[in-house]
Amino acid sequence: MSHDKSSPDFLYHHFYDVNQQYETSKLGMWGFILTEVLTFGALFVAYTVYRAWNPDMFINANLLLDVNKGLINTIVLIGSSLTMALAIWAIQLKKKKLSLVMLFITFICAAIFLGIKYLEYEHKFHLGQLPGEYYSYMGPEIANMNNPHIFFSIYFIMTGLHGLHVAIGMGLIAWLMYLTARDKLHSAYYTPMELVGIFWHLVDIIWIFLFPLFYLIG
Amino acid sequence: MSEHHHIIPLKIYFTVAGILFFLTGVTVWVSYVDLGFLNIVIALLIAGTKATIVALFFMHLLWDDKKNLTAFVLSLMFLAIFMIITMSDTEFRGAINPEIKDPINKRAAFYDSLPLTDDHGNPIHEDDSHESGDKDDHH
Repeated sequence: MSHDKSSPDFLYHHFYDVNQQYETSKLGMWGFILTEVLTFGALFVAYTVYRAWNPDMFINANLLLDVNKGLINTIVLIGSSLTMALAIWAIQLKKKKLSLVMLFITFICAAIFLGIKYLEYEHKFHLGQLPGEYYSYMGPEIANMNNPHIFFSIYFIMTGLHGLHVAIGMGLIAWLMYLTARDKLHSAYYTPMELVGIFWHLVDIIWIFLFPLFYLIG
Repeated sequence: MSEHHHIIPLKIYFTVAGILFFLTGVTVWVSYVDLGFLNIVIALLIAGTKATIVALFFMHLLWDDKKNLTAFVLSLMFLAIFMIITMSDTEFRGAINPEIKDPINKRAAFYDSLPLTDDHGNPIHEDDSHESGDKDDHH
């Protein structure tokens, strides 16, 4: 199919019009989100099975995590979700500079999140609160705790995979800043920003569940 | 094309973020109140509410073509099937053969070989706890 001369340059030849192109991209993204939910879903099932098998240990082991760091990360991530949504709002209204600023704040929030996560991990590596056979912490709290290495296996895999998503999200947001600064994204075509936004909000949703399940149980 | 897209008023974004921050505070506060098994139920209800708000407003599902919402809800339905079938296996193994559930309640063998540590993760040596002080001793 070919388009007449008036069709915009961002419209690919295999789409009928820009609206069909936008809707198709978006449905594709939601298909990807579906696979993401199932990927993390498998880990949530693992969490549920092991927590059902070790109810007391999970409640005791969560006391070894730092609620304040988890809370700060929750606030940072919800804030970054807001700025991501505002970046899309700004570009819809042709406010290019505001959109760039919002993307930059989102990027910084993601960096703060990973920085705090690094401090938490570093502390746990130092203590030996590690997954599976690498576990070596036998401090005073452990006396009446059975098999806390299981809790830390699940903690590191779930927060680690989530952290990987935050890192990938940072790369995508940097790419959006590049595209926006080069005027490749504008009020008529901002599909990549909309799709990365959906990805970023999914990362937020997963953390919304990880925070109470790991830091607040008990 | 932008005129076909719904531009969501700024007020909605800030209200949604405000509710999310508020619910985060509530869930932290409730976790310090001992309600028995209700603690986890309330925590998950609040998390579910927050996730729904993020999906409907930040992810624009409320205004989108409903095919996107269908894809998302489908993923949650598949997750529910996964969860229910797995749990109906693992939770009832003990009812058929009690021996299968027994080893799970035992401490893993490698814990016996681990030295006791203080709360900074440093090993405690009960025999030579004065060793570090000896080198600085002046006779």
